[in-house]
Amino acid sequence: MTKDMIGSVMVVGGGIAGMQSALDLADAGYYVYLVEKGPSIGGVMAQLDKTFPTNDCAM
Amino acid sequence: MDESKCIACGACTEKCPKKVVDTYNAGLAKRKAIYVEYPQAVPLKYRIDPEECIYLTKGKCGTCKKKCPVDAIDYDQKPENVTLDVGSVILAPGFEPFSPAGLDNYQYASHPNVVTALEFERLLSASGPTHGHVARPSDGKDPKKIAWFQCVGSRDMNRCDNAYCSSVCCMYAIKEAVIAKEHAGDDLDCSIFFMDMRTHGKEFERFYDNAKNKSGVKFIRSRVHTITPLQDTGDLELRYVTEDGALKTDVFDMVVLSVGMQIPAELVSLSNKLGINLTPGNFCDTGTFTPVETSRPGIFVSGAFQGPKDIPQAVVDSSAASAAAAELLSGVRNTRTKEKELVPEMNVLGDRPKIGVFICQCGINIAGVVNVPKVVEYAASLPYVEFATDKLFACSQDAQDSMVDLIAEKGLNRIVMAACTPKTHEPLFQETLTNAGLNKYLFEMTNIRNQNSWVHKNNPELATEKAKDLVRMAIAKVAMQEPLKETELDVNQTALVIGGGIAGMASASSLAKQGYTTHLVEKGSRLGGQANNLFHTAKGESIPEKLAEMVKDIESNDRIKLHLNTELSNVDGFVGNFVSTLSSNGNEETLDHGIAVVATGASPYTPSEYSYGSDDRIITSLDLDKKLMAGDPALKKLNGALFIQCVGSREPERMYCSRVCCTHSIENAIELKEINPDMNVYVLYRDIRTYGEKELLYKKARQLGVIFIRFSIDNKPVVKTENGKLTVTVTDHVLQLPMELEVDLVTLATAIIPNTDEKLANFFKVAINQDGFFIEKHAKLGPSEFPTDGVYLCGMAHYPKPIDESIAHAKAAAARAVTLLARQKIFSSGTIAQVDQANCAACGVCVSICPYSAPSYAEKGRFAGKAEVNPALCKGCGLCVASCRSGAIHLKGFDTDQILTQIFEMDEAV
Amino acid sequence: MAEKEPKILSFLCNWCSYGAADLAGVSRMEYPSNIRVIRIPCTGRMSVKFILAAFRQGADAVWVSG
Repeated sequence: MTKDMIGSVMVVGGGIAGMQSALDLADAGYYVYLVEKGPSIGGVMAQLDKTFPTNDCAM
Repeated sequence: MDESKCIACGACTEKCPKKVVDTYNAGLAKRKAIYVEYPQAVPLKYRIDPEECIYLTKGKCGTCKKKCPVDAIDYDQKPENVTLDVGSVILAPGFEPFSPAGLDNYQYASHPNVVTALEFERLLSASGPTHGHVARPSDGKDPKKIAWFQCVGSRDMNRCDNAYCSSVCCMYAIKEAVIAKEHAGDDLDCSIFFMDMRTHGKEFERFYDNAKNKSGVKFIRSRVHTITPLQDTGDLELRYVTEDGALKTDVFDMVVLSVGMQIPAELVSLSNKLGINLTPGNFCDTGTFTPVETSRPGIFVSGAFQGPKDIPQAVVDSSAASAAAAELLSGVRNTRTKEKELVPEMNVLGDRPKIGVFICQCGINIAGVVNVPKVVEYAASLPYVEFATDKLFACSQDAQDSMVDLIAEKGLNRIVMAACTPKTHEPLFQETLTNAGLNKYLFEMTNIRNQNSWVHKNNPELATEKAKDLVRMAIAKVAMQEPLKETELDVNQTALVIGGGIAGMASASSLAKQGYTTHLVEKGSRLGGQANNLFHTAKGESIPEKLAEMVKDIESNDRIKLHLNTELSNVDGFVGNFVSTLSSNGNEETLDHGIAVVATGASPYTPSEYSYGSDDRIITSLDLDKKLMAGDPALKKLNGALFIQCVGSREPERMYCSRVCCTHSIENAIELKEINPDMNVYVLYRDIRTYGEKELLYKKARQLGVIFIRFSIDNKPVVKTENGKLTVTVTDHVLQLPMELEVDLVTLATAIIPNTDEKLANFFKVAINQDGFFIEKHAKLGPSEFPTDGVYLCGMAHYPKPIDESIAHAKAAAARAVTLLARQKIFSSGTIAQVDQANCAACGVCVSICPYSAPSYAEKGRFAGKAEVNPALCKGCGLCVASCRSGAIHLKGFDTDQILTQIFEMDEAV
Repeated sequence: MAEKEPKILSFLCNWCSYGAADLAGVSRMEYPSNIRVIRIPCTGRMSVKFILAAFRQGADAVWVSG
């Protein structure tokens, strides 16, 4: 069973969620294809000004 | 656009004649048809918008192609279909903000001063169209009064089909109101119109309380029916009914619609194509005990597609989804990745510096302003400089190759690169040094583009002088640079999980499935923690059944070593090399482990409120679960049952929401109604917080006839027993009258309180917040780990949470831990602090000041008692170096001499 | 004031202000060129020695940001 498996993963979506999954998998030893329909990663979070409760800059 | 060629110089955008609506700025600004979404975009590559580009739509123009200095523009690029073989798929496609254009009563489509929250977010942003100055779109006037409307596109089946709560809008509205007041000053009047205030996240309730009591944000419990624009003024008149039935009219300068999250239609059709089940709200259907698994094996889900959620929850899910994929594929790990081949490093220690200086032209980005040949000539004249040259694009592959050749040919042993910025390109050039067999720390990069040619473009002479100065400073610094070693440390491949509740079990199980021997330590005599007291989940799964499966899974896993009745009595060591002492019934054993997961859970609050303990008809939520699990026949005979919410939560001494109690009480209210539909069931609440699709349960409860009565914190219900009669008196906010309810059972929805464990916090050098919960590395981006390397956090030790979120958090902690374990060896950075122990006075300032606990007193050897720095823990911040009164600590790469020499070399400046 | 431009030496934290100075460039802002930047790993690295050395070296102002 294991022999037929492929050690790579496709992550669909390059927002905060997709980026985190991609980083974790790549760091764990899997080849990752990160697929994003837009020209850059970051998703909606990149559009936010600050994040609560710490008021850190979202960027 | 050929991404490999684009150098993001922006020449194309500057000359592009076509202006387009800027979607990044939520339509509030314009951009060009060739563009980069925002200056910090990754990858920083320009893109042609094919729908707007004049050349691509009309076949004429071609300006950008002419302007591009590196010939990156290719109008003939076509979409390609690529087929990939993968072992697993993670869906993280996100959400779309609900569009309020169809809601006529809110005037969004017709009035510029009605904006969505995302648009307002851009108005607040320093990188937005108004540079963070809140200005009214219609006339640029500073608004004096702004209103937020909650639940636009959420909790609404009349004007849209989104029955669920979007979970995030209450908090973002409060945040926007507070920040708007920070920007505009206290005179700005901010009012939030809401139904229930849902601040159920960690530290959110306190933020809400401060917004109300310190920042002066007004909270009005009402759903505004209509907005009427007042002619020509741009002002907006709101008419609304307050809770007590009064009709009010008020005029605002701006209205912000707190739009909810929605799953886009194309995602629904993609899910259908993939054969993935969706929930009624079109979110991905998952189980409570399998929170990131879709209905199709091998496909996992994370982020808002799994359910409306905020950033930390999305980050947790994402790590959890990667853990789930990694559990599946652990047998084929490292089969698709490649190892790099290493060039042996030359020993240049003690050699006279022979510095090579490379000045990048960056096309015209630098050379268009700075006189590069002059800077090269100047650099070549400076001490120790063996060779200086310029490069058209130093980062291009051919330039890199030629640098490797030049290092060998000229015998260079130090390199200075004057180019864009080390923030983006230092690693690339350091790799070139490594490829040339030169220690990568024999390098200094100076910034003559971002901090010179780009910001002084109208002053080429001064920019050239500045470039010379910067190059001279860099040369002086690199001459004093020595090859640095990155200390290599083995990572022990054993994991320790502390706490045998749902979170601890799920984390241990994930680590074991990913191939790691895991020790699970539980101080009690059985696994399961608080879940042993719970009846069923919000989705209806039986908790006892699922818990039994989990326990069996743990007990039968050979890689999991279970230690019941055991506590940690000591922890030594550091990331990758912890040594812990486990104590069990007076016996001690030591355990070597590489990582630790803290999953020590939380406990139910024992109330003193509402006459608890005086009558056995006054019970807690967990007591009711016990009765339900036992199938207590007395429940069927109840005529009246009443729940009181927020018992011990959201109080001044416990300023947080326990997150699960609203859902829990509503589930049980429904259960009671199903046992006996004639039973009168009441829920007394402050705000109902059934976030996400739990909102559907709230709706169902109301449909079944459960009566919800709101009370306020300064007028709490009173529970009395007199002559055997159990009565509850509550002031109804609609009727404005006290009501007396006679019931047979009062269930108190008690708070979840932390198992504050200061001993454990000290062992791992981690912090506890004022509520007693552990503080994670970062509230948004590091929710499953601690600032201490190699120590991870999950479950209710972090914050109260339901089972699905606990399991996701547990898997996330495991995923984060595996990213460390998988490296097997860790390398410290080269730029770390080192103690010259002969000069150390052993005063201990460094030991106490370091935020990472890197310095300690040496225990053995000639310098016992003097400070030493653990390279594995040092982050190279230099705090200890600056505070050392003896000058005994050196920060390699940023040593005092190196900084001073830069200061001395600045002398010729300006 | 107009005749003499002050000489400013700045120490910028690698993780925040140095990046912000980069972004000023990306956004094509303009500012006077009489400023020299020394990148430090953290403002924790900052020492009074550096500030005094800068003044002794003829700096009119020292700016530490992080």
